[in-house]
Amino acid sequence: MATVPNRRATDEDGMIFMRRVLTLLALLLWAGGAPAQNATAPDTAAGGARATTLEDILARQKNRLKGTTQRLPDALREIEGRPVPLPDGDAGVPQLGTLGGASDPDLWRALKSGAQATPSSSTARGQLMQVLGEDWRLVRRQYLLRYGGYVLLGMAAIIVLFRLIRGKIAIRGGRSGRTIPRFSLSHRIAHWFLASVFILMGLSGLIILFGRPLLVEFLGRDLLVGRMGMDPSVIDTLKSVNSVLLSASLQGHNLFGPVFVLAWAIMVVRFMKGNFFQWADAKWILKGGGLLGGHASSHHYNFGEKTWYWMVVLIGLGMCATGLFLLFPMLSQTLVYHQAATLLHAIGAVLLIAVAMGHAYVGSIGMEGSIDSMLRGEVDENWAKEHHDLWYEEVTGKKADHANDPGGAEAQAEGAA
Amino acid sequence: MTDAALTTLLDQMDADIASYLEACVHCGECAEACHFYLATKDPKYTPTWKLQPLVRAYRRHKAPLRGIRGMFGLLPPEVTEDDLRDWEELVYDSCTMCGRCTLVCPMGIDIAGTIRKMREAYAAADIAPDGLKQARENVEKTSSPMGVTAKALLAQVRHQEEETGLKIPVDREGADYMAIFSSHEIMASPEIIGAYARIFDRAGLSWTISTKAYEATNVGVQIGSAPLAKKLVRRVVDEAERLGVKYVVSPECGHAYGAIRWAGPNLLGRSFGFEVIHIIELLDRLRAEGKLPVGDKDGRRMTLHDPCQIVRRGGLLKEPRNLLEGACSNFVEMKGAGIANLCCGGGGGVSANPRAEELMIAAFGEKLKQIDEIGGIEAVVVPCANCRGVFEDGLFEHDRDEDLEVISLGQLVADRLAGDAPPKPSE
Amino acid sequence: MTVLQFLEGPMFYAAFAIFAVGAIWRVAGIVRLGRKPDLAPPKGSAAAGWFKGNLRHFVPRGLFAERTWMHLLGGYAFHLGLFVLLVFAAPHIAFFERFTGLSWTALPRWGFILAAEFAFAGLIVLWVRRFSDPVMRQISDRDDHAGSWLTFLVMLTGCLALEEAHDALRALHMGLVNLWLIYFPFSRLMHAFTFALARGATGAVYGRKGMNP
Repeated sequence: MATVPNRRATDEDGMIFMRRVLTLLALLLWAGGAPAQNATAPDTAAGGARATTLEDILARQKNRLKGTTQRLPDALREIEGRPVPLPDGDAGVPQLGTLGGASDPDLWRALKSGAQATPSSSTARGQLMQVLGEDWRLVRRQYLLRYGGYVLLGMAAIIVLFRLIRGKIAIRGGRSGRTIPRFSLSHRIAHWFLASVFILMGLSGLIILFGRPLLVEFLGRDLLVGRMGMDPSVIDTLKSVNSVLLSASLQGHNLFGPVFVLAWAIMVVRFMKGNFFQWADAKWILKGGGLLGGHASSHHYNFGEKTWYWMVVLIGLGMCATGLFLLFPMLSQTLVYHQAATLLHAIGAVLLIAVAMGHAYVGSIGMEGSIDSMLRGEVDENWAKEHHDLWYEEVTGKKADHANDPGGAEAQAEGAA
Repeated sequence: MTDAALTTLLDQMDADIASYLEACVHCGECAEACHFYLATKDPKYTPTWKLQPLVRAYRRHKAPLRGIRGMFGLLPPEVTEDDLRDWEELVYDSCTMCGRCTLVCPMGIDIAGTIRKMREAYAAADIAPDGLKQARENVEKTSSPMGVTAKALLAQVRHQEEETGLKIPVDREGADYMAIFSSHEIMASPEIIGAYARIFDRAGLSWTISTKAYEATNVGVQIGSAPLAKKLVRRVVDEAERLGVKYVVSPECGHAYGAIRWAGPNLLGRSFGFEVIHIIELLDRLRAEGKLPVGDKDGRRMTLHDPCQIVRRGGLLKEPRNLLEGACSNFVEMKGAGIANLCCGGGGGVSANPRAEELMIAAFGEKLKQIDEIGGIEAVVVPCANCRGVFEDGLFEHDRDEDLEVISLGQLVADRLAGDAPPKPSE
Repeated sequence: MTVLQFLEGPMFYAAFAIFAVGAIWRVAGIVRLGRKPDLAPPKGSAAAGWFKGNLRHFVPRGLFAERTWMHLLGGYAFHLGLFVLLVFAAPHIAFFERFTGLSWTALPRWGFILAAEFAFAGLIVLWVRRFSDPVMRQISDRDDHAGSWLTFLVMLTGCLALEEAHDALRALHMGLVNLWLIYFPFSRLMHAFTFALARGATGAVYGRKGMNP
């Protein structure tokens, strides 16, 4: 998995790993619990996790920056008393001059200690530029991309393996030819509405997350140039391709976001009935969901479906919240929330996409008769008896016999005897 | 396909039909309006699907730009006789041409009228249900689908004269009004003739019944044969013009009114020397003129069924309600009453088609549900003889014939005339 | 000539010509079939009925709306959304102005985005219903799906090009627009024009009967 830029492994890796994880935790905790950070004096030590390690710098910078405003150009003007060329307008980003500008070590020290400034692509006044951004960037690149990729590829591998070992799950005893209604039209529309938007959001989101590392780093730098020895200019081409894809994906992702919220809300309401956990679910878990053989009883939804529903509800809520937050950055004054939001948003997305892959597999080509419930709204009686016997009994008022289960016939004969 | 069927099918396609076939976006809304779909939930009863053979013939032979579509191999295959036979059930058994689908259609497509045109091709190829073929034979022999002869009519007239004590003028030249009836009325509820006698007598109008043209039922319209429909309309028109009447009174019968009032002049290719008036229209006019004073009102909890061809497709929406307001004191509308009311399930020749009976009874179930939703209804006024027949069959099959009475509007008005004691019901 | 220049130049002219000529040809072809004069004495005006029928069918009857409200919401959202974003989006107005010289007030960007959200939500609901409802599965054909997908892709590529930073994305959008224009007159997308004929025909018949369902 080449989602990580080439880097020689060193002994420090372990240390760096710990530091990154701690940073990530700090970011999340901070976003979750810390009061909104005001654009005030740097001595508020808003650096949190790293304020202690930088106390000396903080103390030094405290005097130097005293009396300056917090916007970057002003701060820069004060530092070293050196004039800084400004770009047109009020963007507030200094151009890099011969003496350096934005990379001024003092400035970075100041920022590290909690000084605040307006970043180059400011979407809201008063947003911070802070050193945590660098940690955020590295957490995103080194851990999120790597492990996110592992999760998604792993899920695909599990599905392929499952297919190879278990094959398509056929209806025991075949189709009966008699159907019973399972999902109303409004259920089906709610489901497919969310599914369609989910696919659009998922694809565009994956491009935003993995586009550059996959296309430029992996395909370009590693494979085409590194292994196949192609001209390095191919990397530039791939970068352009990526920038087009990224622009498209970002616009699409932003536009479909609110539609996703709507579709998600409809789905949550429409499918809530029957999705609360029941006693039968515990037994279902003990029997491994019947995937390993045997029969696991369930109501309208089994434990797996219920878990999936609540994942969609809870993670989906998180996705909607963090997503809207990213879409409307002016909702917050503090950049750290956005950093946390991007990480949470991506983690949630990877989880949802991974489980959705399994859901889609079992719901379509993985299990005979499942897709009927969402295409026609009806399922075969034998399918219902096998997978949702308690629901079958509720709906039809008939007893679900398990004559088709492995060993079911004998069990029944015993029961009769 | 037989040449006759295809030629007839293509002959039906004018700009209106073409607009309908072109505008359909397959939105499926019409299914929600069709009582056959509602009763069975079978997607094949989606109204627009019933037009499929016509759509294919249109696309292949008439549609603009079909040449370019053909270059890409996008023309549908020719409609075969087997296709027509496959669709026969949909065209005859499961469409009462009630036109409710037109109301829900975002494109306003008149599917009922288009089915009527499709039936022309079926009739030309002689692909039709046996029940309707039988009715057609009866008409050709006796001029009435139920085989009602002039002799039988005269017997009923004499009987009604005895019941009411009034003279019923027969074949009288120079009368103002000539009444025609549905065979169902003459055979199954002849007291309606007596009711006419009392109403005309009270209003002081001169009227007559003709022994040459007493039958309003038009099998030609039901089976879809313009030549037959024309023949049946012509008989009434010729007789009315011979007698020199000013009005022909169309009875409480759905399609009969449309057949002579709206289709008639077009079938004959000329306008008439008299005016066609529906009995409900006439009654309401007389009511407005104060010529039908009401005595005791009927106190039962009643509702009104809107026969499709009279209300939705005939335009007589307010008239029956005006009359009911005068004649009963406890009138309740059903949900969806008026123009969007549900069909009884047996119009458009379906009730004359024994093969379709089970489906018809199922569709009537939707009507019954609608009536039961109001609750506590004792009688339902049904101003259409064919609907009344369906109601009676349907209530019997649903085991409800004991608690719901089906009454004719004309009968109700006649019974409630001031100072008239209703005659004892005949055995 | 770049690809984009071709797609916005010669190709667009050709596509638009096919669209315009084809659509006019088809409508004229329908009207040309003619109808026999109605000899039955009218109770009301056919012409008034024609207009009334056209207006009446814009609004569903409550009785039916109760049953199919999801479909109705989807239909309204899609059609109104599409209309607004087609006619009032600033990039579209700029495009029209290039050819016609006409210009009008554009919606603010958020309004245009909102219209697009409605249109997308509506179109997806309509399409999703098409494949998950037995009635719709029965009556739908390839043309229905092709029309839905083409329209969706035109809208999607339009929204992907929102940043207006890459010619490739604009070209993709324009290419699909051209395809859509060419497909239009041969397909059921023509309902955008034929709806008036169908509603009018029924409206006129009922108008003569002195009523209007």
